[in-house]
Amino acid sequence: METFELSIAQRQGELAVLEVAGYINNEGGEAIAREAGTLLDAGCRTLLLDLHATRIINSIGISLLLEVLERTIEVKGTLAFCCLTPSIAKTFQIMGLAQYTRIFPDRASALAELAQVR
Amino acid sequence: MAEPVRLRLVLPQVARAELIAGDAVEDLGQRVGFPRDTLAEVKLAVVEACLNALEYGAGDVVVELAAHPDSAYPWIEAAVVDHGPGFDPGEQPRPVLETKLHARRKRGWGLELIRRLMDEVEITSRPGLTRIHMIRRTGGA
Repeated sequence: METFELSIAQRQGELAVLEVAGYINNEGGEAIAREAGTLLDAGCRTLLLDLHATRIINSIGISLLLEVLERTIEVKGTLAFCCLTPSIAKTFQIMGLAQYTRIFPDRASALAELAQVR
Repeated sequence: MAEPVRLRLVLPQVARAELIAGDAVEDLGQRVGFPRDTLAEVKLAVVEACLNALEYGAGDVVVELAAHPDSAYPWIEAAVVDHGPGFDPGEQPRPVLETKLHARRKRGWGLELIRRLMDEVEITSRPGLTRIHMIRRTGGA
């Protein structure tokens, strides 16, 4: 469960869904930042990170997600998350991430909402 | 009153060593009936304390865990000890997301997470010995 895996689960117009599994530490965070950067460079403006298979994000992984957020804001895009465990949701709440990102309970509701944004 | 379940670990110098301590927290907590979601928060706090010790400390990083099976309200205590140069916890700035977003260095969330995820946190630090002692009760934080 803690082995990190990242894949692009969906790419539709300016929207991309990244499925993340396992422990998000420095290596995982860097992989996400790299992939997100490539997608933003390619014209994506809405990134949805599906964390249904992620149980823990450490503070270094968090700082790398902030780089993704900064980059997304720079291009006037949207960074969204779905399927957070309660502890990851609490971590995001402590950081105040909900102010700058969209957070959804599941992928279906995220896609329904985000499709209307763009 | 039942005796606490105790565990002492010396973290090896390997990648993701902090997860060894985190997994031990989960195991111990489950043995005393700690709620799973609360346990995940304790796990993250211990992982963060270990990351600090592994990054800034020196010598062995020791993790002491105790799960107390007190009636309907079990509680967990954890201590992470390192032998680095030490730091003044009062001088660590609290991270603010808006500032971090525009800053070159976006790190610095570890202590904040520890303090917010645990009910009691005591940090004692001097050159050669830093100890972060944490307690989390069921229904706390």
